[in-house]
Amino acid sequence: MSEAGALDVDNLLEQLGRDAESGGYHLNPDAKFLRELGEGLAVNTERLGYPLCPCRLSEGSKESDLDIICPCDYRDPDLDEYDTCY
Amino acid sequence: MIEIDSLEQVEGEISDHDVVLFALSTCPHCRHAREFLDSKGVAYRFVYLDSLKGDEQKRVLLESEKYNPNHTFPTLVIDGGDVLIGFREAEYTDKLL
Repeated sequence: MSEAGALDVDNLLEQLGRDAESGGYHLNPDAKFLRELGEGLAVNTERLGYPLCPCRLSEGSKESDLDIICPCDYRDPDLDEYDTCY
Repeated sequence: MIEIDSLEQVEGEISDHDVVLFALSTCPHCRHAREFLDSKGVAYRFVYLDSLKGDEQKRVLLESEKYNPNHTFPTLVIDGGDVLIGFREAEYTDKLL
């Protein structure tokens, strides 16, 4: 996952952290995992122009991907089931 | 046995099962699944669906859909039957080691 620069990942994680906290959520405290997640999101942002969930496959357009753009529609069910997003 | 040209073989000492990993190159859980399989010496085949294009991606997605219609990754298929969705080390250990 070398397509995204470190600065992009830092900015993205900072933004995600602000959004999460303002909504009453917290980012994963596992720094290594969070970094990997941020790298995947940054790669998808570079590829597609939006932060598609790195664990889900694009269906080819932003319109068809709306439910899987981070934070995605499946966040709350995943939190209930796994205590973390998928 | 799953037959897809796009699958890449990883050799390992533990080869009693046919293990296929449907994964994404961007996904941390997929990375951890591969790290687990590599570290334990499990032989497996894998494909990164986001690295495929057009019809090839559609073909592989159709195959992975048979085991996990929700299009989430990683999806691990053992001997064409047992399916592990997501990566939880205890499940992988239980099924593979």
